[in-house]
Amino acid sequence: MIFLTVGTVLPFDRLVRAVDQAIETRLITRPVFAQIGQTALRPRNMEWVATLEKSAFDRKVAEADFVIGHAGMGSVMIALQHRKRLLVMPRMRQYGEHVNDHQVADARRFAELGYVLVAYESAELPSRLRQIESFIPVPRRSQADQVAQRIARFLQEMEGSLLRKHNSFCLGDLRGLR
Amino acid sequence: MPRNLRVCLAASAGGHISELLQLESCWRGRDCFFVTTSRVVEGQLTRFGRVYTVPESNRQHPVRVLGTLVGCLRIVFAERPAVVLSTGAAVGCLMALLGKLAGARIIWIDSIANVERLSLSGRLVRPFADLILTQWPEVAQQYDGVEYAGHVL
Repeated sequence: MIFLTVGTVLPFDRLVRAVDQAIETRLITRPVFAQIGQTALRPRNMEWVATLEKSAFDRKVAEADFVIGHAGMGSVMIALQHRKRLLVMPRMRQYGEHVNDHQVADARRFAELGYVLVAYESAELPSRLRQIESFIPVPRRSQADQVAQRIARFLQEMEGSLLRKHNSFCLGDLRGLR
Repeated sequence: MPRNLRVCLAASAGGHISELLQLESCWRGRDCFFVTTSRVVEGQLTRFGRVYTVPESNRQHPVRVLGTLVGCLRIVFAERPAVVLSTGAAVGCLMALLGKLAGARIIWIDSIANVERLSLSGRLVRPFADLILTQWPEVAQQYDGVEYAGHVL
């Protein structure tokens, strides 16, 4: 099964249409399950839903042979965590798919690092679909613990200084009483 | 005595929330509440704390930003957070600004999606944020006071 996702927030008809087309022309022969967002588009060749709860989303990713998605970091993160092959199409500003082109830069960077394959335009999808069959992504290791530790240190320092302030305030009160 | 700081965890639905959840170990067990932009993600957040939903907005919809602003203002008044921790985007920016005005400390984690420079929201909060982390070393080099401490993805 191939899991197709456009993310939680916005629809992305260009990608859904391209995949629907690829099934029609038998470029894709595996069954496709798609999460396509709130859109008027009705794909003809796949099972689809508008939105998925997080747990159902995770299950679909886990079950999939590979994932096709927009280049949103939520989708990319889950696919990489499950060590799935991932083909992304970035949302583009020129097509009104996002407020800017950060997904293009993200897709390019993650592809350069060997984590994903990219099709910027629908016309590139067929060749990337052939490539993904033998694609072995570089494993990505999260450093979330490191980042969380940095934040925890900030919070502890903040608590420490509040406590000092509190204590000196109390001592000041005592001195005032004397 | 100021023991358990109240932490506001603000992030729009989608990748921003996923990044915030990756950082669970630094806020879990604290007195925290969420501010996000879609009921779709509410289900995965309620087990960690109170969840507020405000309308999704961005730079292309200034009127909607106003709606989000009013929503955020209410939350700041009701909750009085000591810290606002955000991974973006517009909703995080607004909560950071209003939180700061109400005396909170601001922690900004710029999303991993910003590979070339800080996000627009990140650049807006930079003048008053107390801790700013980017997830790309190249981005940290471009700005004073912006740290790289690793990536959450």
